Amino acid sequence: MEKRLIKKDALTGIIGKIAQEAVVFAPVKVEDNVLFKALEKGEEPFLTYANSKNAPKNHFFPRSEVMLRYTRTAKGVEFAGGQKEAEATVLFGVRPCDARSFVLLDLLFDQEKYKDPYYIDKRQKATIVALACVHPPYATCFCTSVDGHPLSADGADVLLTDLGEEFLAEFVTPKGEKLLKYFGDVKADAAAEAKKEAVAEQAAKEIKSHIPAREVKPIMDANFDSPFWNTIHQKCIACGTCTYLCPTCHCFDITDEMKRDDGRRLRNWDSCMYPMFTKETSGHNPRPTQRERWRQRAMHKFSYYPENFNAIACVGCGRCVMYCPVNLDIRKIVTDISKL
Amino acid sequence: MQNPYIPYPVEVVKIVTEVDTKDIKTFRLAFVNKEDEEKFKYIPGQFAELSIFGKGESPIGIASSPTQPGYVEFTVQKAGVVTSALHEMEVGTRMGLRGPLGNSWPIEFLEGKNVVIVGGGFAFTTLRSLINYMIFGDNRKRFGKITVVYGARNPGLLIYKDELEAWSKRDDIDLNVTVDKGDAAWKGREGFVPTVCKEVGPSPENAVTVICGPPIMIRFTLPVFFELGFSKETIITSLEMRMKCGIGKCGRCNVGSKYVCKDGPVFTFAELDKLTRDF
Repeated sequence: MEKRLIKKDALTGIIGKIAQEAVVFAPVKVEDNVLFKALEKGEEPFLTYANSKNAPKNHFFPRSEVMLRYTRTAKGVEFAGGQKEAEATVLFGVRPCDARSFVLLDLLFDQEKYKDPYYIDKRQKATIVALACVHPPYATCFCTSVDGHPLSADGADVLLTDLGEEFLAEFVTPKGEKLLKYFGDVKADAAAEAKKEAVAEQAAKEIKSHIPAREVKPIMDANFDSPFWNTIHQKCIACGTCTYLCPTCHCFDITDEMKRDDGRRLRNWDSCMYPMFTKETSGHNPRPTQRERWRQRAMHKFSYYPENFNAIACVGCGRCVMYCPVNLDIRKIVTDISKL
Repeated sequence: MQNPYIPYPVEVVKIVTEVDTKDIKTFRLAFVNKEDEEKFKYIPGQFAELSIFGKGESPIGIASSPTQPGYVEFTVQKAGVVTSALHEMEVGTRMGLRGPLGNSWPIEFLEGKNVVIVGGGFAFTTLRSLINYMIFGDNRKRFGKITVVYGARNPGLLIYKDELEAWSKRDDIDLNVTVDKGDAAWKGREGFVPTVCKEVGPSPENAVTVICGPPIMIRFTLPVFFELGFSKETIITSLEMRMKCGIGKCGRCNVGSKYVCKDGPVFTFAELDKLTRDF
């Protein structure tokens, strides 16, 4: 693996150079929020951020995207074209938890039998430059409980680690190596690697929140009908914030809209927290109350995904915990179930 | 990469109103491009998304059999936005078809066995596909005795009446059609499906039961088959759930870890026992 050292103040210049040749998405301050957005000409990213409010999955799986278009003809309404091809992009400054979410989403969208062309096209054309969490930013961070690490390179093509005076840049994949030319020619020495190891150890120690995520599946499975589920959802207002901010939530709705003779079919994020999500035309709803919906969300992440893909569908970013308007906490739920 | 979200263009070539209440119709769809028909190779028990641009999509079981080339048929009840739009359609209209989706009736497992088919109401569509497949030409030799119990609330609600008539004339299929309550013209059997199943009393010896119908029918029919000696491994059904993508991505049709759209819709009752009761 190629490794380089760069001076800290060189980073902004490097991003600027990359941005001349590809669309760069990076954290930017928008009013009170840090959001991932495409850098405009000359715009600099906000590099002292904790994490973005929105998960960068939006980039491969947009909140709303056109799947196909159609038009009215004499014969009826007919197909008029699919989605245009994605352009090459670089996602700069993705946190390791969010980078890992791409690996988890790949498992679903890029399966052997059923491939999702919209996701795959954008994903293949993007290079992920991750920025390690030398000091995990939030008290709600729990990546180490769900197979992650603040310095993990999982899902990243390039991993940047702040070593104090300089950044260590590790070029993890061939896609990442294509960016090598921007990062100068100072190769990382053994001292830098030793320093990174020390930083990694310290960073993991700074994560104070731990949950028994790996152990909880059999207990959840055995307690599907437990009275445990009867009360935990009671304060949930079904706003869906948890699922919208979640880097691994992938549920969507497909809707049609037509104006005069032209129309389009869209897919929009949907949420298992919503009553209509599973409601059938007959009126029957297999998940009739928030109880079943909460159970579904918890079990999808910690039981069903592990069963289907051998991976927990949670990266421990803590967004759902931080932004839940009624302070529901998935960490507490997983922990409480493990004690049943 | 073939885009699984883009439907094949098809044309409505025939519409049959199946029931007196006129809210169940069978639509025969022919592919606009011949090569699409080659790509749409299906097995009885699979379903497809009927796609109406401007309205949406609806997942419907395939009612025709692959032994009927040139078209695909769907029997649809008028219920929501898409199915209502479909019911407004006339012969010659173009629409979309996306699929085939899901697993299928386990044809290989049924081969060499006696097959008992139990259907209720309009949930007879993919069973009709299976029957037409099994009795077609040389296919018939691959299966043992075929027993069918099919019931509806009243004679006017029986679907595929012409085919029922034709099947009743064959000696290689034991057809038992029943209605909950007959009318003045009804000469056939009266009685609920579970009762009729008990009277017909198929042997569990080397036999499989394939059952589709309203939940209430299934609830009362299952014990009959357990009593006859059928095991949960030899009773098969097909589930329905709200679906969108049909390929296990959009996340709403799961029962436990299984997606009805791609891991189902066909399950044995032994398999369903292992799943959570979330449907």
